[in-house]
Amino acid sequence: MTYAVSEIRSAGRRRKRRLSHAAIEPWLYLSPAIVLLVVVLLVPLIVGISYSFRKFSAFKSEYVGLGQYQAMLSDQVLGQALVNTLWWTVASLFFQFFLGLGLALLLDKPFIGRKLVQAVVFLPWAVPSFLSGLTWAWLFNPIIGPLPHWLYALGLKAEPTNILSDPATAMWGPIVANIWFGIPFFAITLLAALKSIPSELHEAAAIDGASPWQRFTKVTLPFLAPTIVITVMLRTIWIATFADLIFVMTEGGPAGSTSTVPVYIYVSAFKSLDKGYASAVAVLLLVLLIAYAVALIAIRRTLVRHV
Amino acid sequence: MASVTLQHVEKDYGSLRILHGVDLEIADGEFVVLVGPSGCGKSTLLRMIAGLEEVSGGEIRIGERLVNDVAPKDRDIAMVFQSYALYPHMDVSSNMGFSLLLKKAEKTTIDTRVGAAAKRLGLDSFLGRLPRQLSGGQRQRVAMGRAIVRDPKVFLFDEPLSNLDAKLRVHMRAEIKALHHQLKTTSVYVTHDQIEAMTMADRIVVMHDGFVQQVGHPLELYDRPSNIFVAGFIGSPGMNFLPATVSKGGKADAVLADGQKLRLPDGLPLQDGDAITVGLRPEHIQPAENGALKAEVEVVEPLGLSTQFYVRIAGQQVCVFVMGRSTIRPGDAVRLSAEPAALHLFDPMSGNRIG
Ligand SMILES: Nc1ncnc2c1ncn2[C@@H]1O[C@H](COP(=O)(O)OP(=O)(O)OP(=O)(O)O)[C@@H](O)[C@H]1O
Ligand SMILES: [Mg+2]
Repeated sequence: MTYAVSEIRSAGRRRKRRLSHAAIEPWLYLSPAIVLLVVVLLVPLIVGISYSFRKFSAFKSEYVGLGQYQAMLSDQVLGQALVNTLWWTVASLFFQFFLGLGLALLLDKPFIGRKLVQAVVFLPWAVPSFLSGLTWAWLFNPIIGPLPHWLYALGLKAEPTNILSDPATAMWGPIVANIWFGIPFFAITLLAALKSIPSELHEAAAIDGASPWQRFTKVTLPFLAPTIVITVMLRTIWIATFADLIFVMTEGGPAGSTSTVPVYIYVSAFKSLDKGYASAVAVLLLVLLIAYAVALIAIRRTLVRHV
Repeated sequence: MASVTLQHVEKDYGSLRILHGVDLEIADGEFVVLVGPSGCGKSTLLRMIAGLEEVSGGEIRIGERLVNDVAPKDRDIAMVFQSYALYPHMDVSSNMGFSLLLKKAEKTTIDTRVGAAAKRLGLDSFLGRLPRQLSGGQRQRVAMGRAIVRDPKVFLFDEPLSNLDAKLRVHMRAEIKALHHQLKTTSVYVTHDQIEAMTMADRIVVMHDGFVQQVGHPLELYDRPSNIFVAGFIGSPGMNFLPATVSKGGKADAVLADGQKLRLPDGLPLQDGDAITVGLRPEHIQPAENGALKAEVEVVEPLGLSTQFYVRIAGQQVCVFVMGRSTIRPGDAVRLSAEPAALHLFDPMSGNRIG
């Protein structure tokens, strides 16, 4: 018995030594990929963060510790940009999601010409954001675009003026363009998720006595939930950091009313030439988004652990 | 509980006709099995009774009520799907109680009924589990439980056992039968497995290409198949078919392709020279010293309880089934005999039974 035990023990020790080789070996195979990832992903990130501790002026830079972060605390414009970012993200996301979901539900039902509608629906994604920004800016321009006149005719506006030039309404311009731009994303991903629901499940629910609305809430939604959480998370991050449309349509104006954090970062870095401050703001945005993602993943864990 | 009546039920998919006027009367409390090869329209017919497919023509009644345009939930039926179709995000008790919950039943009522069904099916200890934490057999039970809890007028089963392994299938077959014995709920059961049909059914409906071929008690179909299709489909090992010509010199004989003769029963509407197909069940053709048929043994399959031979007669392979064991070896020449009364005769043109 003792003999057997010691035999097993020594075998175990031997295996452990071999294991340490075995433990290192996969990392060796992975090393080229890891090196590449570190160089491509981590190095720029670390350099960017290190910039946030420095102050840049025309020909030199100096270490200022947390000075840039202290400056952020009293920056009114940044506060406004954060509010704008929240507004821009929530409004865009809300409409993108619900319109995308509605479209996905429609496209899940067979009807004549579905293929064609599908192709048209997914078109906005093929248009470069720069081009769609320009197009929408023109659509809102009363001289060449029809939208102000329609809004006027519907009684939504007192005068057919450009909503982009009024600080009170300017944010709606890029938001509308962004909604148009982002619906296909939700439509495609949610449609794919809808297609993965076995039809027998809906039939079983129909026999069990579920109304169409109950089938949606009790069968469809639980199935979509994991997809919804992931896509909403990804999309929030993309929208929050997405500056192309705003920059093309309003450049953050008028009077900073459409200046979101990414636009502000861009302006700080390339117009005020304070790369240090821009980096500090970028780090702030990064931290906020990571906190958001962590919160959402935690919600997902508790909410949809079943599927 | 209720009867189910189908009157000339038709189903078209576009211009394609899947069901050609099905007439069927299912009595209250009866266990009817729809059986047929893949693609014959069994599932379609069942789904039409459930209300999941539109009726293209004819009438479907549950009890006295015409249900052609009644929604599935208002037909008071329960269905067990081949894939079970359990709600993956609900635990076993929620799955079983879902229909009652939707009917806004009291929580205590739901709990007692789910509890009773779970007990009956031996699912007591699984009530808190999710479907994916169950074995295939347990999932199958949950699907049955979901149907039982509703206490419907009619149970519909679409190949509920085909995802189980052979042993469990035999076990569940008996269990479903026992359940029907207790509940006495009218049941329509779809399968492509004729053994399942034979063992479970009060009556079997044999379907082929969207037509009902024959309806009857299992042994009635076995003993008097109304055409070649039913004769070949029911029974395992299947019936042997031999093409022959009628020769009427005094007694009627069937002359096989190689000139051998088989005595035919008397009193059949046959003419000299008629072409016929002779059907012979493997257990009705037996080795005999002075048998009329000469054959060569090709394959011997000893099964312990019984032995199956495959012999060649008039160019056709014929299965012979004898009880017990045998000393006959492949390559042996044997003589076989068949009782005239055990022969099934069919018209080779229409496939219909003669006599
Ligand atoms: N949506 C549909 N459109 C067109 N044809 C269909 C459709 N659904 C079924 N069919 C056809 O109807 C016929 C009957 O189908 P059904 O599912 O009832 O067969 P089945 O007898 O249940 O076969 P199996 O044993 O393989 O389940 C098949 O030939 C099938 O191709
Ligand atoms: Mg089927």
